[in-house]
Amino acid sequence: MIEKEPISGQYGKFEIDGISHRIYWEEAGEGIPLVCLHTAGSDGRQYRALLNDEKILEKFRVLVFDMPWHGKSSPPENSSIGNYKLSTDLYISQILSFIDGLELIKPVVMGCSIGGRIILHLAIHFPEKFRALIGLQSAGHLDPYYDINWLHRQDVHGGEVCGGIAYGLMAPTSPEKEKFETMWHYMQGGPGIFKGDLFFYKYDGNIGNEIRKIDNSKCPIYLLTGEYDYSATPEETKILADSIGIEMVKMKNVGHFPMSENPEEFLKYLHPVLEKIN
Amino acid sequence: MFKSLTEKNERRNQLSIMAQYLNTNFMINTVENEYLINIEKGVVTSVQEGPFVMPSYNFKLTAPKDEWLKFLQPIPQPGSHDIIAMLRRKVLKFDGDLHPLMSHLLYFKLLLASLRPQEKEI
Repeated sequence: MIEKEPISGQYGKFEIDGISHRIYWEEAGEGIPLVCLHTAGSDGRQYRALLNDEKILEKFRVLVFDMPWHGKSSPPENSSIGNYKLSTDLYISQILSFIDGLELIKPVVMGCSIGGRIILHLAIHFPEKFRALIGLQSAGHLDPYYDINWLHRQDVHGGEVCGGIAYGLMAPTSPEKEKFETMWHYMQGGPGIFKGDLFFYKYDGNIGNEIRKIDNSKCPIYLLTGEYDYSATPEETKILADSIGIEMVKMKNVGHFPMSENPEEFLKYLHPVLEKIN
Repeated sequence: MFKSLTEKNERRNQLSIMAQYLNTNFMINTVENEYLINIEKGVVTSVQEGPFVMPSYNFKLTAPKDEWLKFLQPIPQPGSHDIIAMLRRKVLKFDGDLHPLMSHLLYFKLLLASLRPQEKEI
């Protein structure tokens, strides 16, 4: 017999802003709900190591959903190519719909990159709803540093260019096997989806002075950032942490996708955080 | 500095498969010098060292020599490990027709990284 993983995957119908969406999610473990948010242009497979980590699964019910348009989740009805743009409000609706749809009580939410940004919005608007929030590669805003139109052009293969962008965001010290898989997820994204997610990351989701509204006493926030990330750098996370009045953790030898590019290294940093939350 | 790109090895043979329809030439500028690199079917066929009088090329990557040397370390430091990271730090500039570069972005990243000693295979 083959060795089976403890992960189960399911589909469900979720109402997001009044529209029915067919969403795919995976889960494993029992205990405190820990909802994990994948990065822009990728999908829930990024959390494959967490979903297999015995230590975490003893005390946490880990859940990872693919956002609409990503992974195995469907696009909403009446969609067309080229019009996808993730807004802050839509992203919040997706997360709350998932949590409420599964009747999760006081979950922990952990997000990376765009997920690391949206947890800040959750902290501002719904702190009472969460047991804790964990931001990986979090920054309050990001000024564009390359032309994202290259990510969706009919004369450039989207999988090739998105994979090329994602590859460089990882640490040279991360294992090639995990880096390749992380890049491969990007290569499988649909046309314009990575670019559409970056509308949130680089424009709509930028947080200005609102960051001052975050009250860490209402909901504990933990920030961890990989040293090789040049998108959300440790320096930018530090500015964010200082604004909130908390410490941040700089993770050695990882880049923008810690849970996927170097799970072994990442889990050394995550376990102590989850122990505090538990 | 970049002349060994014409040397053939297993790694570069694999890379050429990723760019088998790519025919282009591009310039790497180190401020101190220039290198004109020609690619045919994904294979680097020549690297000419400047100075040039009237070079013709599709696109150019410009960064100071010390930044290229940081990029070429066996394990580069954060911010020097990738050409987009260097772009982000504003120490590298892309200009010209970027289509050959962006349509083969991973190829160019790995091609340049192949100059690093003991750079791991992807």
